[in-house]
Amino acid sequence: MQNVTQVAASQGNIFASLGIDWKALILQIIAFLLLVFVLGKWVYPWLMKSVDERQAGIEAAAKATAEAQKSAEANKEAVAQLLAQARKEANEIIGTAKLESAEMVSTSEKKAQKIAERIAKDAHEQLDKDVVNARKVLYNDTLELVGLATEKIIAQKLDKKTDGELIDAVVKAAK
Amino acid sequence: MPGRLSRRAVAEYVATSLVEGKSKKLLFQQLAAYLINTQRTKELELIVRDIEFSLAEKGVIQASIVSAFDLTAETKKALEAFVKTQTKATQVSLSNMVDPSVLGGVKITVPGRELDQTVAHQLTVLKTRFKKA
Repeated sequence: MQNVTQVAASQGNIFASLGIDWKALILQIIAFLLLVFVLGKWVYPWLMKSVDERQAGIEAAAKATAEAQKSAEANKEAVAQLLAQARKEANEIIGTAKLESAEMVSTSEKKAQKIAERIAKDAHEQLDKDVVNARKVLYNDTLELVGLATEKIIAQKLDKKTDGELIDAVVKAAK
Repeated sequence: MPGRLSRRAVAEYVATSLVEGKSKKLLFQQLAAYLINTQRTKELELIVRDIEFSLAEKGVIQASIVSAFDLTAETKKALEAFVKTQTKATQVSLSNMVDPSVLGGVKITVPGRELDQTVAHQLTVLKTRFKKA
């Protein structure tokens, strides 16, 4: 080390004494500036653009997420409203159905009552007819029996003499 | 008798012959022979009825009497007189049939007419009249 310092001092150049080659330094500076220029001209804009795009994408995604969340909230409310509406309609339908069923039951009862009354009326009429027919049959049977009894009595009571008188009476009446 | 005659012609012939006083036996033999010969024995009842009608037209009535008991001579006379009066017949002959089922009274049948005054008929009429349909 001491030898190097001594050499540089001997040459009268501080860069040399520090071991720096100023030509090489200039070249390196130029190369560095060229690199900076190249990076600033072509690489950085591309990188920044890419980063910006990515950031924009992330922001859009976040925004979409927020909107989706908002929409989900809104949908939740809509669903709740729909459910409430559906419950209300269901209750109305049940109420209407109950009313209708009550009306139907009432109508059926009235109808059944009418039918029962009609059946009872028909039965009464049929009964009356049967009674009338039975009386008629009884009357005719009685008449038949009376006729038979009369025949028997006449057959027993009528003799030749009475019959002769009867015939005479018939002839006289016919004249 | 000639070949095939009408029933009315046969009845007229027999009735006329009876009125003229020809032998009944001979007439009926002729009639029987004719009916057998012409195979018309099934018409006998109709021919007898026609003969009765023909006789009635000539004033000879064959009256059929149905009664429950035998009729006395007086009753028969009364009936004969009654039939004569009613039919304007000059000659009436009665044939009496006893049928106890008529109970009493009398049923007189002459050609084309009938008078039923039996007790059984009266009862039937009464029953029919008062019977309810």
